This record gives sequence, C-alpha cells and structure tokens, in this order.
Amino acid sequence: MLKISSIRSILESSLFVWIGLTLIITLAGDALVLPDWLQVFGRSHPILLHFPIVLLLMGLLFFWIPGIDQKPEIREIGEVSFLAGCNFAGITVLAGLILAQEEYTGEILTWHKWGGMVVFGGCVLLYFFRTIKASLIRISSLGLAIAIIATGHWGAGLTHGEDFLLAPIQSNQVEIIPLAEAEIFGDVVQPILQAKCISCHKEGKVKGKLRMDHIEGLQKGGKTGPFVLAGDFEKSMLIQRINLPEDDKKHMPPKNKAQLTDEELLILSEWVASGASFEQKLVTLPAKNELYQLASVKFEGNKIYSFDAADQDDIEELNTSFRSVKALFPESPALDVSYFGISAFPPKSLSDLKVVHDQIVKFSLNKMPLAGVDLKFLKDFKHLEELQLNFTDLDAEQLKVVSELKTLEVLAISGNVVDQSTLQKIAEMKSLKKLYLWHTALTEEDQEKIQKALPDTEIDFGFDGKGIIYELNSPIISQDEMIYQDSLEIKLSHPIKTAEIRYTLDGTEPDSISSPIYTEPIFVTTTGKIIAKAFSQDWKGSKEIESVFIHSGIKPAEYALAYEPNSKYKASGPGTLFDLVKAEATNHGQKWLGFQEKPMVLEVDFKNLPKANDVSLSLLYNEAAHIFPPAKVTVQGLENGQWKQLASISPPMPKEASSARSDLLTLSLDNNKYEKLKITLIPVPHLPKWHSNAGSKAWVFVDEVIFNE
Amino acid sequence: MEKEILEEGLNHNRRKFLSRLSLGVGSLALGSLLVPELFSGKSEAEEAMMNALPHFAPKAKRVIYLFQNGAPSQLESFDYKPELNKRMGEELPESIRGTQRLTGMTAGQASFPLVGSHYKFDQYGESRAWISEVFPHTAGIVDDICIVKSMHTDAINHDPALTFFQTGAQVGNRPSMGSWLSYGLGSENSNLPAFSVLLSRGRGNGQGVYSKLWSNGFLDATHQGVQFSNSEDPVLYLKDPESMSRSERRKMIDKIAEMNNLSMQQFNDPEISAKVKQYEMAYRMQTAVPEMTDVSKEPESIIKLYGPDCLVPGTYAANCLLARKLSESGVRFVQLYHQGWDQHGNLPNEMRLQAEDVDQASAALITDLKQRGLLDETLVIWGGEFGRTNYCQGKIIVDNYGRDHHPRAFSIWMAGGGVKSGMVYGETDEFGYNITENPVHVHDFQATMLHLMGIDHERMTYKHLGRRYRLTDVSGKVVKDLIA
Repeated sequence: MLKISSIRSILESSLFVWIGLTLIITLAGDALVLPDWLQVFGRSHPILLHFPIVLLLMGLLFFWIPGIDQKPEIREIGEVSFLAGCNFAGITVLAGLILAQEEYTGEILTWHKWGGMVVFGGCVLLYFFRTIKASLIRISSLGLAIAIIATGHWGAGLTHGEDFLLAPIQSNQVEIIPLAEAEIFGDVVQPILQAKCISCHKEGKVKGKLRMDHIEGLQKGGKTGPFVLAGDFEKSMLIQRINLPEDDKKHMPPKNKAQLTDEELLILSEWVASGASFEQKLVTLPAKNELYQLASVKFEGNKIYSFDAADQDDIEELNTSFRSVKALFPESPALDVSYFGISAFPPKSLSDLKVVHDQIVKFSLNKMPLAGVDLKFLKDFKHLEELQLNFTDLDAEQLKVVSELKTLEVLAISGNVVDQSTLQKIAEMKSLKKLYLWHTALTEEDQEKIQKALPDTEIDFGFDGKGIIYELNSPIISQDEMIYQDSLEIKLSHPIKTAEIRYTLDGTEPDSISSPIYTEPIFVTTTGKIIAKAFSQDWKGSKEIESVFIHSGIKPAEYALAYEPNSKYKASGPGTLFDLVKAEATNHGQKWLGFQEKPMVLEVDFKNLPKANDVSLSLLYNEAAHIFPPAKVTVQGLENGQWKQLASISPPMPKEASSARSDLLTLSLDNNKYEKLKITLIPVPHLPKWHSNAGSKAWVFVDEVIFNE
Repeated sequence: MEKEILEEGLNHNRRKFLSRLSLGVGSLALGSLLVPELFSGKSEAEEAMMNALPHFAPKAKRVIYLFQNGAPSQLESFDYKPELNKRMGEELPESIRGTQRLTGMTAGQASFPLVGSHYKFDQYGESRAWISEVFPHTAGIVDDICIVKSMHTDAINHDPALTFFQTGAQVGNRPSMGSWLSYGLGSENSNLPAFSVLLSRGRGNGQGVYSKLWSNGFLDATHQGVQFSNSEDPVLYLKDPESMSRSERRKMIDKIAEMNNLSMQQFNDPEISAKVKQYEMAYRMQTAVPEMTDVSKEPESIIKLYGPDCLVPGTYAANCLLARKLSESGVRFVQLYHQGWDQHGNLPNEMRLQAEDVDQASAALITDLKQRGLLDETLVIWGGEFGRTNYCQGKIIVDNYGRDHHPRAFSIWMAGGGVKSGMVYGETDEFGYNITENPVHVHDFQATMLHLMGIDHERMTYKHLGRRYRLTDVSGKVVKDLIA
C-alpha cells in the first residue's frame, strides 16, 4: 500500500510539472496551437475549478486551528488536502489557460487569468514555507483566501456575464439596442425623463399632478396642461418648462437638481417637433432629420441580419478580376458585391450570383454597360438594400424592374435617362431613404414632383451647371512634324465632344460664323500657320491657339560649316540643320547648334537641284541664358568664283528677358541661280545694358535651315 | 516535534530541488510541442491577423487624400482670428509662445510681430463655420465637411512633417498610409493598383515631394504607390511596344511567370512572387488605365463643376477628376499632392493663387461623389503637413507678409465615409497659436482614418527586423467625436 509520505512526495513533485507547463503556455501567448483533445481538457476548467477552491480553503482553515502544532495528525490532514488543492490549482490554471485561447478576451479575462496564477503561485509558496512563523502564515492565508474568492468572482463574470452577481441589486443596466429596433420614445426620450424627471413625478411623489413613470401619465398631462402636444411648442408644458430661465420657479428640472444637457434639450424639442409619438421607430425618420442624427449614434449601427451566411467557397469563387464579393463586415452574412472594369465585364457573369442572391444587400454595377441586359434576376435578391446603377445605359424597361424592388433603401441611377413612366414608378418606392437622380434629364418640374411623392427620401439631383458660363479650353492641334517635305496632316480635337472647332489658315482670327468648321483632318502643302478656336453653347469661346507648319522644298546636296559650333552645343553635327526635326525651345543643350566666339558660316551646294527662292532659319531666343537673335544675317551667292551678297537682315533686339522660345527668320533670294550659297550669322558682340551680364558676348542657337523653291 | 517538521522542510535539499526542477524543464519541453512556431522563427500570427481584416464594420471603403503640400496657412483659411488683426504688429507674448522651437528661418528674428489675415472671413452653412474669402467653393460645401482646427504634429520642417503624416515616422523607410491600407485591405478592383499617386504644382512657393512618401517601406513591393503622370503615358512603361499584340504579351507574361515560379521554388523569396503579381496587374492595367484617363465621356456639367482646368492634364483639377474616377473604380487609396503652399513671404498674393487652383476642384470632388451616392463610402481628406505662425516672417507689411512653419495648431478638413458632416472640431486660443480644446495629433488622425476603414490601428502590425510596426507607431487614439 502507498504510504502517505510517498503520496506527498509525488504530489510535491508534480507541482513542478504544473509550474513548467503554466510557464510555457503563458509565454507562448497567441502562438499556441492546440490539438482538439487539449481543448476538451481546457473546457473541463469550469468543473475542475471547484476542487482547488474547496481543498485550498479547507487547507487554509487548518492554519487557524488553535494549537494545531500540537496535533500532527490533524495538521497532516490539513497539509495533504492543501497540497492536493495546490495540485488541482495547477491543473485548473492549465485548463483555464487553454480554455482562454478559445474566444475569451477582455479585461475580466486578464484579471481572472492572473488572479488564477497568483492563487496557484501563492499556494505553492505557502505550502513550501508553511513552517515559518505562524502569524505570517495566517496573514498570508487570509490574502490567499481573498485571492481565491476574487478569482472565482471574475471567473463567474466571464461565464455568466459581468456584474452577474450584483445585477439584481443594480438598476442601470445598459443594453445594446440595434439601430433598426430603437424606438424614439422608449429608447431615446424615456431614458432622459428617467434620469432627470421621474424622481419627482412618480407613484408616491406626483408633483404638479404629473406622473412620468408610465405612458398614460404622460398622455394625461399635469395640473397646468398637457405634457406634450405633437408639433406644438406653445402648448407642450414639457418644452415650456425646460426652456424657462433656470432662476424661474417653474423651470424644470428645479434649480439645484441635475439639469438637462444641451443635447437632451435638443432631443426633447425635436421629439415634440417630429410628432411626439410614443411608438415610432427611430429608423422611420428621414436620415436628415435632426433627431435621427442626434439619436442614431447612440445605437449599435451594425445591422443584424438573420439570414444564413453563404458558403465561403462560393464567395471566394465569385471574386474575380472584375467582381468583388465581400462580407459587409467580419462575420456578417450580408454581402457587398461590386463590378469593376468596363472592358472586362461579361454580362453573363451576373447569373453567377445566383448562389448568393439571399445574402446580397449592397450591389454596385456603376458604369457597367448594361444596355439590353435583363435585370429581372435582381428580383431574387431578397435582401437587397442598396443598388448603384450610375451610368449604365438603362432603358425604361430595365428601370421599371429596378423600381419594383421593394426592399431597396438606397438607389443610385445617376447618369441614366429617367422618363415620365419611370418617374412614376420610382415615386412609388416609399421605402427609399436615399435616391440619386443626378444627370437623369429630369426637368425642375419633375424634380419637384418626385420630391413631393417621396417626402421622407433624401434625393440628390446633383449639379447641372446651368447658368454657369466658363471660357472653353483651347482646341488641341496635333501634327506629326512642324517641318515637312511633301504634305502634312493636321488634326484638331477638343476634350468636350460638343465643342465646335473653327480654324483659319490665312493668319486671321477664326470667328464663330464664317470660319470653316473642323470636321476631318486638314492636309497642307505650303508653309503657313493654322489658328483654331473652340465654340460651344453655354460656354465662352476659347482662346485661339496656333501652330506653324513649314514646307521644306529643297535639301542641299552638300553642306559644310566654316567654323565648328561651340564644343558644348554641337547637337548631332551640321546634319542637325537639315534633319527636318524642329527642336523644342526648352532643350538648347542637346538639339541646337550654339555659336558664340565664332559666327556660323554655312556653305551649301545644290548641284543639279532646282533653285531656291528663299531661306528660313529656325532660331532659339532665351535672353536669361544669353541666347539672342543674331546681330546680322547675310546670304551670299557664288557667281563665277565671286561671292555676291543676296540678302541681309539685322533682326530687332529684345528689350527684356522672356522665356525660351523659337523663331523663324525668312530671307528672300533673287532669281539667279548660284553655284553655292553662303549663310552667315554673327552673334551679338555685347549684351545690352539692361541685361544682368551687360557687355559679354551673346549666343546664337540654330536648329534648322530650310530652302524653298 | 517542531524539529522534525523543520527537518522535513529541510529535506528539500538542492539535489531534490534540482531533480524536481528537471520535471519542470521536461514539462516545458512537452508544452513547447504546443507552440509550433517556437523554434521555426516564422510568424503565422501576421497571416491570422490579415485574415481577420477588417477588424470591424468599415464606414468608408476608400480614401482620397488631397494633400496640400507646403502647409497652407490655417489663419487665412479656416481658423478665423480677428484678434490678430486687432493686434497687428504687436509682439507675440512670451506666455503664448512658451517653449516652442522655431525653424532656422525665424529663430534669429529679433521680434515676432503678430499679423492678421489679409483676407476677409465669413460664416457659412448650418454649421456657421468661418471660412476665408479665397475658398468660396469650399464655403459652398461646408455642411458636407468636418473642419478640424486642432491638428498638431511633432515635426517643424517639410520633409519630416510630410513623412510623419504619410508614414507615421519622421524618418523614411516606413510604409505609407496607402501602402498600409493596401496591405490591410487589398484592392477592391484587381485591375488597378490599390494605392495611386497624383502630383500637381501650384503657383506659390513650392516644396518637393519624393517617392519615399508613397513607398511600401518594409511591406511587400505590391503595396507601393503607383504614380500617374500627366504625360501621354499616365503610367510609365505600361504600353506595349508598337506592333506587339495582346496575345503575344500574354504568352510572354505566362512564360516569365513560369520561370519566376521556378526560382520562387528554389529561393522562396517573396519579392519573386511580388514580381509575378505585378506583371499580372500591369497586364490588366493596360486596358483599365486608358479607361481612367479618358475624360471624353464625362458630362459637360462635370467639366463646369471641376472647372475647365480639369481638362488640362497635370492640373490639380484634372487630378481631382482622375481621383474620383480611380476611387469610383475601387482604388483603395488615391493620394494627391499639390505643391506650392509654403508662404514664407508674399502670402496675401500667393495664397490667393494657390486657393484659386484647388478650391473649386476640391469642393467639386465632394459634390461629385455625393451626386453618385459614393460620398458615404469614400473618405476625403484635405490638408497640409503643419500650420503657419501667427507672427510675420521678416518685416511686416500689411499686404505682403509671410508666415513660418507652425506645428502646434493647424486646420484640415475631412468629408464623407463616416465622418460627421457640418462640424467644426477643436479650438485654438485667440492668437491661433495653441490648441485650447480637443487636440488631434497626427497619430490620432491616422488612428481615426484606419478606424473609419474598419481597422484597429493597434492590431494592424507588420513584423520587421524583430519588432512589430504599425502606422501609428506606439500612440494614437481614435477621435470618436469625429465619427458619424
């Protein structure tokens, strides 16, 4: 037979096992992964916990027996039961820690958990140090007893709910009421009366002959008049009294008693204003009603749905690159479905939603091309509350289907044409809280009509821009190149489709009457300028915009520069001058030839090509960067071995610095044919006085030289 | 007897204790079997957290953040301080300034003369909010927005303050807000990036924006912000080369994915699978992006609502319109930056121009979302990185003053997605220098934004280099008063 002492030894050893396991589970925290069989052990915590409570408390009692030290047998009973209690405490703590992994959270859990550990640790310490001073042991035993009771209480709080023990003697229970079920009187107004008024207006203490503890009393009213009259502030004593100055004897609640807050005052007033009903539900008020806005925040906003959730695998399968199917919020069975990506939208995919038609409460098909799509499937969405169909090309037939969806609370059909028959159908959708009818071709008269038919619905007709006149944006001119050889295509466009573009090719300003209207691309074969302007009804005409096109008739057979351009600005060499690509004015570093110390002297040979009648130079000006027009341009022709001056020009000098821009300088030649031509551009030797670097040498930048017949 | 009991106690000698301790150690080992991660060093907790997102019912599905880069003056926009006009030129009292540090730009100033707003203020809407005359369109939508006048931040210079607002830390390398939301909630529309960035520049003194502001930090590279530019190719390198067909491209992407998956098997580097996903998304974006940037289908009233500038790519108005289109198409976070709000000098002139460029389009965005029924599910935020001082930088000239950086109090506004509308929140003292009521720290603002998106800012974390990070670092309180 097992001896008591060996049982004790086993029990003492096993304590260390519990301590170790407790440590590891506590430290592991959330990382713990439990096999199912351990969950069963965890769930036995509520059964196990009774053992340590009884055994430990019993063991503790023995410390208090007077003269216990003289009775070793009795002491032995106490110690063994205490030791057994310690072991049970360890097992219970372990089970508890495992159970806590399941779904318990919150402050009481923390208290209970650590309370349990303190009890376990405390009793183990007490057991091993049980032989030290008796008085110390007694004090510790008291502490331990308190810890046991407290831990037990917190534990009970977890299973039965907080304040379970004291609930019968506590009056102010707070219950979370879903917004959908909240009543204006019962859940919003009455609590205010309860807190601030009833203490003097109840059975046994009926001041002013007004009883406020039941509805009949309120309906009966008091000595001086009715308590409330719907919508009548003058005759409603409630409103009268609460609004009197606080010093007035008739002011309610009386001076020195808890006063109504501003919000409470507002709620009471709005209650009377909105009809002082004793039964109405809060959600029946329109969303813009002030009382609704004030009160709705007090209730649980998450609507509770009673239908079953859809199969998770089905939901996952429905999520594709063009469709998103998500729960409204975690653990809600209600689904929110949206379609995206016009180009990827297959209308057939709408029928996939059959598997979740009971669960869909929000559905968005904004901008999807629904023309011709049969929308009858929507009738199967029994719980659909919000439907967004903005810009979906719906016809009257489809809109009729939509208007027959009786569960809808929010409907957005902006951007679809709503005709009279549809409008009539929508006017019957009394359940709508919000309706979006922007850009639906409704007249002001129609808008009034629908608002009258649905007085409680918040309707948004949006912004129609009527009466606002802005200047149109300029049209956009697109041409592949500025300098071309044979012919050039010029296209004009405007981001507003209805805008009319008029243009000229003769350098005059286009007007809205006689200038040609742009309809198709224009082909040009000469050098010139296109000027365009946009016009539209309800808009001011745009600013004019122009673009130059340059015809290049003859490309020289040979050409050479007498002096190299500056080594920093060589572009792609002399060939740049004849590549027919106009460089951007902002890019003088790479696409332009730059001359400063030496002039540009260009010799060209046409060999057997036709004779040139004029020469154009594409130049860059940017005064801040010292880039000026050339001081002088001359063109010479070689005739019988002699250079003869054919043309010369000194362009006007700028008077101030402007931003970088390019210019085209054209010089006409005489009728003779020359063997060679020589073009000379001389940079300005001294920058003018107004320039910040007055006196230093200016630059000349060239990117194209063009000859025409 | 006593002696025996004592001896019994002493029997627990060291050897016995150690042998029992070994039992404890054994039980530790046994218990560790329940902790599969203990020795693997890999955390599955993050994945579990991700599966649980959102943490609760979201009020907003998407965010559009109209960032006014450079810090617009609160004193010329939403925080009306007539006292400053009365005390024009008077010295800022020491008691008000307290220990506030100053930037290098005004720290050396011998005097700090108070300067009042050059612009007139008036009250608008049912909320009777004060708004300055340079924001007439914003005044028109005042009952749809919530003005927060009591924002404050830690940083005093642009770059750290911007970085702080966007990433929750003043130093770089942390994920931006949009990246966090992309990480936490993913994209609604898998054809477009969850986090898109649009830039524009106003006519005032500007401050730079850097791509680190839309960086994914230590998060997976798929959460990086994608910048839309105003060029012919709004998203760079998206177009197929000329004469390459869609089917050819498809084949190529499939082949590359195959090879990437091979090296994924070999190296298990998450960057590889991120790359595969990015190729896949880029392919789908090839059709989705042109849909976004095409404004030709917008009704004329929309052009009038945003103003004709919205047809000029790269303007703030065009970006607001694009932001609506992206957001409406399920882009989780659209981040705009508008530069030019750094009015150290010439404020009365420059701020008018800045406001002119943003006022109409910002208000238009609210009206536009509203008329489509989308404002309820879209959170719009307008504001800069800090405020501006109530004293003049440099010499005071009534119609040509400037203001330095001020982190202690500034104003922003929010609208839609679960935010109370028609409300002015928080208050500053009569000098507009210190907050007197309901302060909102940047981390509080971030916590509130995440809350509106259904995320508990303390629970959305990412473990990196041995510690868990979150957008709000170690602080931040949800401002419940702002939530409808």
